[in-house]
Amino acid sequence: MGVVIVDGIEVEVGPQERLNGIQAAERAGIDIPRYCWHPGLSVVASCRMCLVETGNRNPESGAVTMFPKLVPACQTPAKDGTVFITTSDKVKQSRAFVEEALLIDHPIDCPICDKAGECYLQDYHFEHGQKERRADIAPFTSRRRDMGDTVTLFVDRCVMCTRCVRFTREIAGTSELLVINRGAHEEIDVIDGFPLENKLAGNVVDLCPVGALGDKDFLYSQRVWFMQRHPQVCTGCSTGCSIYTEENQDRVYRVKPRENPHVNQWWICDDGRYGYHHVHSEERLIGAVRQAGDATEALEWSAALPAVTAALEAAGRLAAVLSPHLTVEEAYALAKWIRQLDPEAVLALGPVTTVGADETFKNGFTIRAEKCPNRRGVEEVLRHFTGGVTPFEALVAEVDAGKIGGLWVTAGSPTCWIDDSTAERLAQVSQLVVQDLFASPLWERATFRLPGVSFAERAGSYVNVADRLQTAAWAVRPPAGARVEGSVYWELLGYRGLYAPRRILDEVAQTIPYFAAAAEPVPPTGVALKAPELAAAHAAAGGQP
Amino acid sequence: MMRLFLEATIKIAILIGGLMTAAAYLVLLERRVAAWVQDRRGPNRVGIPLTKISLFGLGQPLADGLKFIFKEEYTPAHVDRWLYTLAPLSILAAALATFAVIPFGSVIPPIGEGGPIPLVVAPGVDVGMVYVFALSSMAVYGVILGGWASNNKYSFLGGLRSSAQLIAYEIPLSLGILGVVLASGSLRLDTIIDQQAATGVWNILVQPLGFVVFMIAAFAESARLPFDLPEAEQELIGGYHTEYSGMRLLLYLIAEFLHMVTAAFLIAILFLGGWHLWGLTGSGDEITLFTAVLRIVVLTVKVLATIFFMMMVRWSWPRFRFDQLMSLAWKVMLPLGLVNLVAMAFVVEYRQWFAGTGTWAAVALGWVVLIGSSVGMALLAPLSSDNRPRSASEGAARQQIFS
Amino acid sequence: MKADDPNIKWIEEPQLGLTGRMYLPLIVQGLTTTTKHLFGPKVTVSFPEERPLIENPLIYRGVHRLNKDEQGRVKCVACFLCATACPAHCIDIIGVESPWPDREKYPESFTIDELRCIFCGMCEEACPVDAIELTSLFDLTGRSREEMIFDKEKLLSVYDQTKDAEPMPSVRLGITPAHRGMEGQH
Repeated sequence: MGVVIVDGIEVEVGPQERLNGIQAAERAGIDIPRYCWHPGLSVVASCRMCLVETGNRNPESGAVTMFPKLVPACQTPAKDGTVFITTSDKVKQSRAFVEEALLIDHPIDCPICDKAGECYLQDYHFEHGQKERRADIAPFTSRRRDMGDTVTLFVDRCVMCTRCVRFTREIAGTSELLVINRGAHEEIDVIDGFPLENKLAGNVVDLCPVGALGDKDFLYSQRVWFMQRHPQVCTGCSTGCSIYTEENQDRVYRVKPRENPHVNQWWICDDGRYGYHHVHSEERLIGAVRQAGDATEALEWSAALPAVTAALEAAGRLAAVLSPHLTVEEAYALAKWIRQLDPEAVLALGPVTTVGADETFKNGFTIRAEKCPNRRGVEEVLRHFTGGVTPFEALVAEVDAGKIGGLWVTAGSPTCWIDDSTAERLAQVSQLVVQDLFASPLWERATFRLPGVSFAERAGSYVNVADRLQTAAWAVRPPAGARVEGSVYWELLGYRGLYAPRRILDEVAQTIPYFAAAAEPVPPTGVALKAPELAAAHAAAGGQP
Repeated sequence: MMRLFLEATIKIAILIGGLMTAAAYLVLLERRVAAWVQDRRGPNRVGIPLTKISLFGLGQPLADGLKFIFKEEYTPAHVDRWLYTLAPLSILAAALATFAVIPFGSVIPPIGEGGPIPLVVAPGVDVGMVYVFALSSMAVYGVILGGWASNNKYSFLGGLRSSAQLIAYEIPLSLGILGVVLASGSLRLDTIIDQQAATGVWNILVQPLGFVVFMIAAFAESARLPFDLPEAEQELIGGYHTEYSGMRLLLYLIAEFLHMVTAAFLIAILFLGGWHLWGLTGSGDEITLFTAVLRIVVLTVKVLATIFFMMMVRWSWPRFRFDQLMSLAWKVMLPLGLVNLVAMAFVVEYRQWFAGTGTWAAVALGWVVLIGSSVGMALLAPLSSDNRPRSASEGAARQQIFS
Repeated sequence: MKADDPNIKWIEEPQLGLTGRMYLPLIVQGLTTTTKHLFGPKVTVSFPEERPLIENPLIYRGVHRLNKDEQGRVKCVACFLCATACPAHCIDIIGVESPWPDREKYPESFTIDELRCIFCGMCEEACPVDAIELTSLFDLTGRSREEMIFDKEKLLSVYDQTKDAEPMPSVRLGITPAHRGMEGQH
C-alpha cells in the first residue's frame, strides 16, 4: 500500500497496481490533459501535454524534494511517496505552449470537422490554451487522403500522437500505419498497396484525439453535439461488446465502443461498428398481417394480439422457437406465456448462425463465429422451462411428425436465417406466428406476421459467450407498425403499463438460479453469472480463495 | 291616450335605434382615441362596403357587428344555462331602461294639435333621479349573474369585485347628487336643467367638490378605467364576461357603453347645465324650433365631450388596486361628499345672502371648499394604503401566517 | 424566497408630497401627457400604400438568404452552426462532400421553415463564413405551409434579389478600398 500525493490530495495505490501519474491524478479527481497516452496502448510520451511537476516525499522526514524539470505524467510511475503538482504556473505555461505549438499549423476548420465537439484539441485549448493566436499564418484547408476503405486522413489536422500507429501494431497486430518524414514534416501514412483494412480499423478513428482520422461511414452526416448516446450491447456476435449507439431524432448515426474491461476493453470490430445500417433499412417489416387462405389482412396491433391468442388457444399442441437474438427477458416472457397456454408446449432454441471461425487479434480481442448475442441466455431460459435445450432441428422433426398444432417463431436476425425447405416443413402447422425483422421464406408462409425490432430499438439483457450478462437500453423508437417483442409478450401476459424489462429480469433472477447474480442492479459493464457458481464450487471443494 | 302611446312608441324606437348606433360608434371612437393616445392610427380602413372608399373607418362598427353576429355562439358545458343567458339580457335591459327619463334636450314646439313634445320617453316623472339610480344599480345583477353562471373562478371574482365596488360607490354618487338636488329642490331632471338655465350658473361652478365626487363615483359605477376591476384583463382575463362569446358578449359590451353614456348624460345634466349655453339657447319656455334644435346640439356636444374625457382618462391613469379602491370610496369620497352636502346646505339655508350678485360668493365658497377639503384629505387620510411588509422580520412573520 | 433572505434589500419608498397626496394635480399631469400624445406624430405606417422606412437594411432581420461566392457557388460549408444556434429549430441541412477541390463540405440541401423562424438573427451571428444572412425583405407571404419552407435554391435566389441593395458583410466591412463607405449609402 502506497500513498501518492496529487496537488495535496493523498491517493492510495495498491501494492500490485502499476499506475502512472495520469491514472493516479484521476483517482484524485484531477484530469491531466494528454494526447498520446491511452490506457490501452504503450507509452511514448511524445505529445508533452501531460507535463507536470514531480517530486518525492522522504518517508522518514516527510520532506518533499521536487525535480527541477517538468516530466510527462504518463511516463512517471506513481509510487509510494511520489508527489505530482498539476496546477502550478509552470505547468500551466507549459500546457499553453504545447497548445500553441500544435495550433500553429492546425487548420481552423472546426466548422466542417466531424470531430468538433468531442475534440481534445478544442477542449484543451479552451481549458489550457492562450487567449490569443500569436502565429500570423492564415488558416488553410487540410489535405485529405484515404487510409483504407473505411478510414480517411486529414493530414494537416494531425497532431502526431501516433495512437493510431501504435494501435495497428499493438492491438490489431497488422501494422498498416506508419509515420513518414521527420520533424515538422511528419505525417501518418500507409505503404502503397497495403491499405488499412483490418477488422479493427475503425478504432483508430475513436483513438484519434483530433479530427485527423475520419470515419467515411459517418463523415459529414451529423454533428456530434446533436446526438444522444445510449449504452447498448453489440449484437453482431456472441462476444457482446459494450457499445454506445448514437442517435438523433430516432436515427442511428454511428456506433462507438464503450469501455468494458471484462469484454471488449476500448475496442469494437468494424462488423459491429458498421452493422447498424439494417436498423434503417427500407426492407424492414412494417405492420401486423394475418394470412387467411390466399387473402392477407392488415391488423391493428390492438386487434392482432387477441386474434393470435384465440388462434393459438384453439390450435392444440403448441411450440415456440426462441431466437438467440431475443433478450433474456423476452425469451423468458414468451416461454412463460406459451407455457401458460399449453403447459406441455415444446420450446426450442432458434437456429444459431455461424460464419467462418473465431478471429482473434494480437491483444486477444476476438470476433466470434457465432453471430448471435444471446445463445447462452436463451439456453438457460429453455433449461429452466423444459429441463434441457431442444435444438431447432428436433422441433422441425416434431412438426414433421404432425405433433404440433400452433407454432410461434421468433427470429430477429439481420441476415436470412432459414431456407425454403425448412420453412415449408414448419408451415405444416395450422397456426404459424412469426416475429421477424426482415422477410424470410418462413415469413411468407406465416398465418400471423408480427414485425419485430432491431437491437437499437430493443431493451433488455444479453448473456455473452463468457456468461456475462449485460443490460442495454433502447436507443431509438421502432418504426411505426413494428413492435418490440418484449412489449408484445408483456401485453400477452397481462402486465400493466409500459414494457419494463427490469421487472421481468427480477422475476428471472428469482426463479432461475443461473441468473441469480442479476437480482442486483446490473452495472454498465455487466455482471458475471458464473462467478457465484464458481465461488460456490470453490467453497464446496474446501479450497482457499 | 292613443297619441301618448304612439308618441312613446316612436320615441322608444328612435331611442333604442339611436343608442345602439351610438354604442357602436362609441366603440369606434374608443378605439380611435386609444390609438391616437398611443401614437397609432387606429381602425381607419373599413368604409363603404364593397367599395374601396374608407371614410375614416366609419364602416368599422358595421364590420364589428357582422363579426359578432357570425361568431360561434358558444356555451361552455360547465355553465348554468339559464342564468348564463339571462345575465347579459338583464344588464342590457337595465341599461336601456335608464334612458326613459333622460331628457335629450328640452321640448320641441307643438306639431299639429296638442302641446309641445318633450324630448324624453317618460316625461314628467317626478322621481327621475331615483329611477335612474334604481335601474343603474340593476346592472350589478347582470354582472354578478354572469360571474356566477360562468362557473369560472375568474368570472366569479370579477362578479364579486363588481358587487362590492358598485355598492361602495353608490354612496358617494348619491351624495354628489344630493347637493344638486338640494340646490334645485327637485328630483326631476328637466327641473334641474331649467334651474341651472334660469340662473345661468351651472352646478359645476357652485359645487365643484360635488362634481369631483360625482364624476369619480360615476366612473366607478360604469366600471371604466381606472376602476375597471370587475373585468381587469390582466388579472381576471375579462372577469365576468370571460366565458361569453358572440352576441351575448356583444350585449355586455353594449351595456357597458350605455352605462358610460348614462353617466355622461347625468354629468352633463346635473353639473354642466344640460342643454343650456349662455346667450344662445334662451331659458325656460321661450322655445322656437331653432332653440329646440340648438339645445339638442348643445346637450349632445356636452355629452360627447364628457365621453371623450372618459376615454382619455382610460389611458391617463393606471388601475387601482382593490383595497385602494375601497379605501378611496369609504375614507375619501364619503367624507368629501358629506362636506359638499354641508356646504350646499349652508348655501341653501342662507340663500338670501347668495341671491343676485351674491351668486358669485357662492361660487367662490364652492371652490374654497374644494381646495380646502382636498388639502385636508391629503393631510388627514392619505390615499396610500400600502400593506406591504416593511422589514425582514415583518415579512417573515407574515409568511409564517400564510404557510 | 424567504422574506428574511439576506439577499433581499429592504428600501423605504419615497414619500409623496402634499400635491401628490392631494391627487388632483397628479390627475392633471396624467391627462396632460395623454393629451400631448393625442395630437403628437403617429408612428404607424399605412402599410400597402406606404412602405416603412428601414433605416439600415444591413441590420434588419427579414427573410434569410444564402450568399454566393465569386464563382456563384453557395458559400455555406454545411457546418450546422446555424442549426445549432437556432432556438426555433427551423433550419435543416444535409451536408455532403463538396464536388469542388477547394472545399471539403457543402450543403446538399438547406431548408429554412420560415413559419417556424422567429427572425432572431442567431443563425447570422453563428455563421463562420457569412453565408446565411437576414435581408430587409419583411413582407413574406405564402399560400401554403410548403411554400413557406424555403429550400436552397429559393434562399440563393433571395441573394440574387438583394445583393445589390445589401452587399455581403465581407464587402461592407471595407475589405477592399473600393467598397469602403458602402455604409453611408443606406
